[in-house]
Amino acid sequence: MHTTHYIPPLNFSPVISTDVSLYRSGYPMPINYSFIKERLNLQTIIYVGDKEDTSAEYIAFLQQEDINFIPVHMDSCNDVDIQAKLDRILHIILNVDNYPILIHSNKGKHRVGVVVGIIRKLLQGWSIAGVYQEYGIFSGGMKGETDLEFITMFKTDLIVDKNKLPGFARI
Amino acid sequence: MNNITNKLREAELEDRAQEVELEYADSNEYDEDNVYINEETETGRERVIISHPPLERIVPPLNFCPVERYLYRSGQPSPVNFPFLLNLDLKTIIWLANEEPQDNLLEFCDNNNITLQFAAINPDGGEDDNPWDGLTEHSIINALRTIVSAEHYPLLVCCGMGRHRTGTVIGCLRRIMGWNLASVSEEYRRFTGSRGGRILVELLIEAFDTNLVEIDKDNAPDWLFTAL
Repeated sequence: MHTTHYIPPLNFSPVISTDVSLYRSGYPMPINYSFIKERLNLQTIIYVGDKEDTSAEYIAFLQQEDINFIPVHMDSCNDVDIQAKLDRILHIILNVDNYPILIHSNKGKHRVGVVVGIIRKLLQGWSIAGVYQEYGIFSGGMKGETDLEFITMFKTDLIVDKNKLPGFARI
Repeated sequence: MNNITNKLREAELEDRAQEVELEYADSNEYDEDNVYINEETETGRERVIISHPPLERIVPPLNFCPVERYLYRSGQPSPVNFPFLLNLDLKTIIWLANEEPQDNLLEFCDNNNITLQFAAINPDGGEDDNPWDGLTEHSIINALRTIVSAEHYPLLVCCGMGRHRTGTVIGCLRRIMGWNLASVSEEYRRFTGSRGGRILVELLIEAFDTNLVEIDKDNAPDWLFTAL
């Protein structure tokens, strides 16, 4: 039935696939654009990573698809202002108007792994063992102790609009 | 007790919201970074504080992952995972094995009106059957027929470890969806643990004739044909 060969971005996967769609992946390349355009229908892309320059091709694609692109500079979970960055990302994720959302880093392993781990723990109440396992699936077995400790210890204090909360958040 | 706690929370919420509004009223440094925060602190909206995880923690089954909307994959759920499964509000579980799943899973399905579909991996295997055999074409098609029918959703596909048999079925589904083969293999290998993927499984996925699965467009899950 589908004759096109779609090429999803590296390490692509749904994170939430219920009332809203939240996806994760590595950095999208031009070969992935048709998949993103035709299959995901994105409203928002959050980039967590250290690349400062966005390629002209990527910018053109984002504009053409009218996708709200939000780069959040992140080297690792040891960044000094990491709390503010993650709070900002959580605010976006906690508003149904921003969906469907794709969060990507460069390889879709560690930085995205931290953001997803925090969503699983804080918003969905996953056990820490479940969070660790998922981190491992996407990081190819690399343990990332610092990331996992960070997820375990992460605390926040956000005020969000109750009427905009997505259904997966067990608040 | 709960009532008092709730009232305290409400009072705390109001105080906090006022503080935040004051903070922003005082600040002239509005920039892009704050746009979401500003939206949330406009007056006249119901607010909620998010500061700690839900009190009841839930434990996902081994190798659990969403696949598509209301479609999930995992290893065999055990009782510790049952509260997690209840959150998924499942209608159907496809169990890919020759042997029955554990009694407690059967009981859990019975009690919660979940249809457990047995997709025996090699129905003709008889005495010679062993769990290392790959799925037969027949059993792959059986599982996929259920997956492409919206009436069975929300749906969980699982096998013992959620690696090879589940990976075979999901891999064939990705091929139906038009994914290129390298991406299908990447996804399959992700769930196979430290020993990596089996060539046999990848060959099975590659050789699978996607035309063997008839899809009734009127009864297919939305995501199969349209981006959501």
